[in-house]
Amino acid sequence: MTDTATQPVADTAATDTDEEAVYDVPADATAYRCSYCGRPFARESWLALHRGLAHPSELDDEEVEAFRAAHDEEEESLSTFRLQALGALVLIYFGFLMVYALV
Amino acid sequence: MTSGRRRTVALVVCGLGWLAATGTASAHGGSLAGGGRESLTIPTWLFLSTGGAAVGASFLLASFVTDRTFVERIHGWGRPLSGGFEGILRLAGQLVGLGGLAAVFVVGFLGPTNARTNLAILLVWVGWWAGLAMTTYLVGNSWATLNPFKTLAQLLPTLDRPYPDRVGSWPAVGGLLVLVWLEVVSPLADQPRLLASVVAGYTVLTIAGALVFGPDDWFAHADPVERVFRYYGRFAPIGRDEDGLRLRLPGMDLSTPRLVDGPDEVAFVVALLWVTTYDGLVTTPAWRDLTTPIVDAGVPPHLLYPVALAVGFAGFLGVYRLAVRLSRDMSETYLAPAVLAQRFAPPLVAIAVGYHFAHYLGYFLVLAPSLAVALTSPFADPAVVPTIELPEWFGAIALASVIIGHLVAIWVAHAAAYDLFPARLQAIRSQYPFIAVMVFYTMTSLWVVSQPEVALPHL
Ligand SMILES: [Zn+2]
Repeated sequence: MTDTATQPVADTAATDTDEEAVYDVPADATAYRCSYCGRPFARESWLALHRGLAHPSELDDEEVEAFRAAHDEEEESLSTFRLQALGALVLIYFGFLMVYALV
Repeated sequence: MTSGRRRTVALVVCGLGWLAATGTASAHGGSLAGGGRESLTIPTWLFLSTGGAAVGASFLLASFVTDRTFVERIHGWGRPLSGGFEGILRLAGQLVGLGGLAAVFVVGFLGPTNARTNLAILLVWVGWWAGLAMTTYLVGNSWATLNPFKTLAQLLPTLDRPYPDRVGSWPAVGGLLVLVWLEVVSPLADQPRLLASVVAGYTVLTIAGALVFGPDDWFAHADPVERVFRYYGRFAPIGRDEDGLRLRLPGMDLSTPRLVDGPDEVAFVVALLWVTTYDGLVTTPAWRDLTTPIVDAGVPPHLLYPVALAVGFAGFLGVYRLAVRLSRDMSETYLAPAVLAQRFAPPLVAIAVGYHFAHYLGYFLVLAPSLAVALTSPFADPAVVPTIELPEWFGAIALASVIIGHLVAIWVAHAAAYDLFPARLQAIRSQYPFIAVMVFYTMTSLWVVSQPEVALPHL
């Protein structure tokens, strides 16, 4: 926010609220749109997560349930990712250890 | 939750320790300080891949931090600073800035012609471009107040023509490239008269621009120097918001939305990164060997340098835009490419800061005593000027700061991605292309610093 005092951003802000400038949905793609702010998503679970993160106080019971389900599903895929990342780190570490020992 | 968080923090700390260790292991790689670059004690390919791997590994480490509230807390942390003293500080700062500009003119035109004793040279390169720029990202942006051109322009009347929106910040992009081109090809750091003339030219141009469009618009959009310092200042722990000065964690303000607005401002950040590379690239033997046949074939060297500067800039911008497109595909988002381009550009400022610090800390420390002597007696021309001899291990600081700049950039981009995307894996995937580019960029930069420095060829 440092620069708002010296830099008028009114004109660019106008294009930013303009939906065309912010989103770019291909004509043949399916988009799940947020009923609160209109943001489109490629997956239904992402829409559920978005609703929970961006509009937490406005959700009905069904949407809260969908958020919980999407969140659990996300946790699961994250732990798989963590394992893979850990594996990659170990590989990098020992790979370099061996290279340094040899060179 | 807390134990999970503690575990992630412990992981990050271990990772930093490891990076620091690899940093010292390759510390012989290059000494940016003082311009002298040493030869490697480990094979170049290993030195380069260690740097690249350090960047890649720190991305993997950052990806372990998946707690959204933790990320937001780090970036949102801040304390207001009381501002009662600001009015006096502001006036004092403006007077210091004007005094400095006057000194550059008077001593530049009338003082000793020796670059090592002339106050104008030392003030501009050591005091301002090395010292003040370092305080800008380490403490806060004081140039916003010191800027003597702005002070002068505010004293003068203005025609207040509306600044053309179409033009945006493109003049600043062009101005930055021109300034760096001048700095590289002309003896601006050797000839006080030439330096004072260039500063005079810049003064006339800046004041004219401010006269026509008003100082606020001119310095907000068109002036390249003001913009460099403004972006560097966003890295600093002390910043300014609506309520006045505010303390925050270094670098964390770079994840703020709307810091970079529009393709012109993205181009400026990319230009800032490219000129850092260009500066070092043109003094490598590889550049000399590559360009010798071109110059022998009859291409005038005075054309070669600006063309290379422009082509390289276009190349950097092209690679960045390509990374944005790939990032968009990988994260399967419907956000427009421009939104991603603007949001992921500010982290690059942290990388530029890392390189600036690596390059200029040593330079500043070596020449600071000379600057102090010149400040006390601006018209004396002593035969011997004091300088500081840097210790052997100093190159390690330079390398560490390059790596730390990348670390901060990775973290800031991580936080920005979390802010943009609802799914955390989507956020992590969106970073793959940028990390690939960063690994490549690190390796290129480390290669540049590991090369022996040769005199600027053909000029
Ligand atoms: Zn929404």
